[in-house]
Amino acid sequence: MRDFRKVCWTLHREIGFLVVGLTIVYAVSGIAVNHAHHWDANYARVSEPVRIEPTGAGPTAEVEPLVLERLGLERAQIKTTWRASPEVLQVFLEGGGYEVDLVTGEGARTGFRPRPVLFDLNFMHLNNGKGPWTVVADVYAGLLVVLALTGPLLVRGRKGLAGRGGVLMGLGIVLPLAYAVAMRAAR
Amino acid sequence: MRKMVVIATLAALLAAGTALAGESKTYGKGVASADTVKISDLMANPDAWVGKTIRVQGKAVGVCEHRGCWVNLASDVEGQTVRVKVKDGEIVFLPEMLGDMVLAEGVWTANKLDMEATKKVCESEAKKKGEKFDPNSVTSCKTLYQLSGTGAVATKN
Repeated sequence: MRDFRKVCWTLHREIGFLVVGLTIVYAVSGIAVNHAHHWDANYARVSEPVRIEPTGAGPTAEVEPLVLERLGLERAQIKTTWRASPEVLQVFLEGGGYEVDLVTGEGARTGFRPRPVLFDLNFMHLNNGKGPWTVVADVYAGLLVVLALTGPLLVRGRKGLAGRGGVLMGLGIVLPLAYAVAMRAAR
Repeated sequence: MRKMVVIATLAALLAAGTALAGESKTYGKGVASADTVKISDLMANPDAWVGKTIRVQGKAVGVCEHRGCWVNLASDVEGQTVRVKVKDGEIVFLPEMLGDMVLAEGVWTANKLDMEATKKVCESEAKKKGEKFDPNSVTSCKTLYQLSGTGAVATKN
């Protein structure tokens, strides 16, 4: 038993060091994407009103150059334009664009840029890239299981499984179980 | 040993960066089928294509801001678009693709809405346009057509 406990100590210690970085990635991103309904966790977005002299809802070939000129844009700057409706022209640029009402001249400039660090953390957490990262994520999940199973065996006595440690572990198990039961009952 | 770890890490980062760079970006399984259907032809008779695997091409003019789970492609007819919808999290369309030329593949689907769902869709559309919505103005049920996408390739213009 002593040897087994020693193996647990070793595994827990070495794996603990190994997963520090990944745990921070998943924890920070976890908080960010948990609140995805409150904010855009990946992109910082801006939107501000713009106003140009109206061009009127004429043919696109005629109004498009006027809109670009009145917005102060060179053709080389734009990715493309799109006549979304008879009254609306959209202009797409790298990292944003414009939407202009041709009749009123009112519109909006929108912009977006990936949030520094957080975009990358979320990309990893949500495994958007798939491929090799799937293996990394699976291995990490397996290592977390090893950490969870070896952790309770590290300490004996009052602070171990037979004492306070056991109570805390029970709480940690009861919490998701109770939530699962409540969820099923509510369905 | 320490030097090897540093070199291996830098090499991995460089490889990842190189893989992400480039003018074309493939989403999901990419595209494989031979025939591209013009969006205007598709929308002229949408029921004829339901259940078929097709490929469409158009400029990306709208992307889901929440989960990147759809992209709207512009038709060759002004104002007309088709939506390419993918399973949440399986493929994530990034806003950087807006304005790019996109080739997308998937199964053309029709979702016949009941009256309640139709009113909700109409209400949402009116809200987006800043118009007032009167539920009584909706008298017939809508059918939403979209491409259930399996892959796409976005190319910068």
